[in-house]
Amino acid sequence: MTTLSNDKPTAISIRNVSQRYGEAGSSGAVVALQDISLDIRQGEFLCLLGPSGCGKSTLLNIVGGLFSATEGQVKVGDKIVKGPLPADISFVFQESTLYPWYTIRENFDVAFKFQRVPRNEWKERTASALQAVGMSSFIDHFPNQLSVGMRQRVNLARGIALKTDIILMDEPFAALDEQTRMVLGEDLSELLAATKKTIVFVTHSLAEAVFLSDRIVVMTARPGRIKTIVEVNEPHPRSPDFMLQPRFSELRNELYALLRDEIRQAIATTGGSVRPSGD
Amino acid sequence: MSALAAKAGSETPPRMTYASRVVWTRRGVIAAIAVFFEIYGRTFADPNLFSPPSTIVAALFQKVFAEERIRDAIWITFMEVSVAYVMSVVFGLAAGLLVGWTRPGRHAVYPIILLLYSIPQVILLPLFVLIFGIGPAVKIAFGFTHGIFPIMVNVIAGMRNVSPLLLSGSRSLGASSIDVARHVYFPHMVPSLFAGLRLAMTLTLLGVILGELYVSTTGIGYYTKLFAERLDPAPLFALISVLAFMAILLNEVVRVAERKFTRWKR
Repeated sequence: MTTLSNDKPTAISIRNVSQRYGEAGSSGAVVALQDISLDIRQGEFLCLLGPSGCGKSTLLNIVGGLFSATEGQVKVGDKIVKGPLPADISFVFQESTLYPWYTIRENFDVAFKFQRVPRNEWKERTASALQAVGMSSFIDHFPNQLSVGMRQRVNLARGIALKTDIILMDEPFAALDEQTRMVLGEDLSELLAATKKTIVFVTHSLAEAVFLSDRIVVMTARPGRIKTIVEVNEPHPRSPDFMLQPRFSELRNELYALLRDEIRQAIATTGGSVRPSGD
Repeated sequence: MSALAAKAGSETPPRMTYASRVVWTRRGVIAAIAVFFEIYGRTFADPNLFSPPSTIVAALFQKVFAEERIRDAIWITFMEVSVAYVMSVVFGLAAGLLVGWTRPGRHAVYPIILLLYSIPQVILLPLFVLIFGIGPAVKIAFGFTHGIFPIMVNVIAGMRNVSPLLLSGSRSLGASSIDVARHVYFPHMVPSLFAGLRLAMTLTLLGVILGELYVSTTGIGYYTKLFAERLDPAPLFALISVLAFMAILLNEVVRVAERKFTRWKR
């Protein structure tokens, strides 16, 4: 189940990563991640799936250089990750990280400026990324003038406009309603088929994981470890018809079976409440 | 009062029915108050303590604007307030940014500033006079110490509660800490800064006027005291309306700047 012919080069290599919060041995100490090793292939769409508080987001932040791991190391290409790598990795978070005080155009410009993109490319990159998500006509709006779904589209477009080879997405559709989520998911699948980017995607949604991923990494309850990896053999772009195929439901059920015990355990250890920062 | 009505009129042209109703209600209330005081002033009021609005308007031209010394006094007060205010803004913003920039700075110093802010400064006025004399310096200093606190407090408060998501997002885009200061902390703080600027305007005016009332040889405060002691209420009220007009004018400057800098809020 776990391995396939693995001929593509590795984009991200995660080696023995552990993450602890608080003093080791003290009562407040929490092991969020335990000994995670994983190779993410170039151009693959990889999903991190697991119960709340299993450290999925923590792992993503470690890969992106926003946190440093207590132990272990992450390499992106040949580089050891020690901090953000804006030239290689862009992030899309659960809520839009657009600056509310800048218009959409200004938001893109600032991002390009931070990332040191030559100024003569700004206009063209902004225009084509907004076009790809169907938001061209809102270029001079402020984020607060857009709906949550529209903002997240723009947020996604900014991730694409940065043209990094790797995009890390932390539950990017979690704040959206079911329908918007599905439509954005389809758009994403199409966009990615066209651009061949490496995506690491954190989600709670089984259907989203199956619909979008090439591989799904199922994690255990805290301390987060890799329980198993499920392959989804289905070419991108995927049409909504994929959801109607028996294989889709089979994969979904398989994932649910894998997660059930972990979710029960997570509820048992945390009493159903999860530290907001732990996930 | 006439200045208020004119302001209301230019701000909301009677286009929409609701807006025009608001404007006309406001004008009606102002007119009613004027009529009430006109009648009261001409009938029951003690002429040593109160004047009807018509007399006040006449006094404004005949006793206030006509006298060069009083014209100068108005100008001096205006200059003192302006200088004190600009100083409050510059130093208040700088100090606020300095303290508000780091979390330990905020946690350690903010309560001290709040404590100082809560002391009624008028208790220190005699000391200010000893230090700065009775010229414009004492009034500028007193206006400044009144104006700087609300600005510092609001700048520091405005730098709290920056969304951690925006900070992570900026870091992932490769923003340096100067970039983060300029594109995250500063714009986040601006609406709060303007709340402080408005408050500071009122308090600077208060500080300057207090200084003039306490010990002074010129300025609006000095002449209001003089007219009150002479039991001459008409020019007293006329001067007060000049002061009100000044407050409106300065507040308008802040408001225009605010509109420009907080476009995204609307």
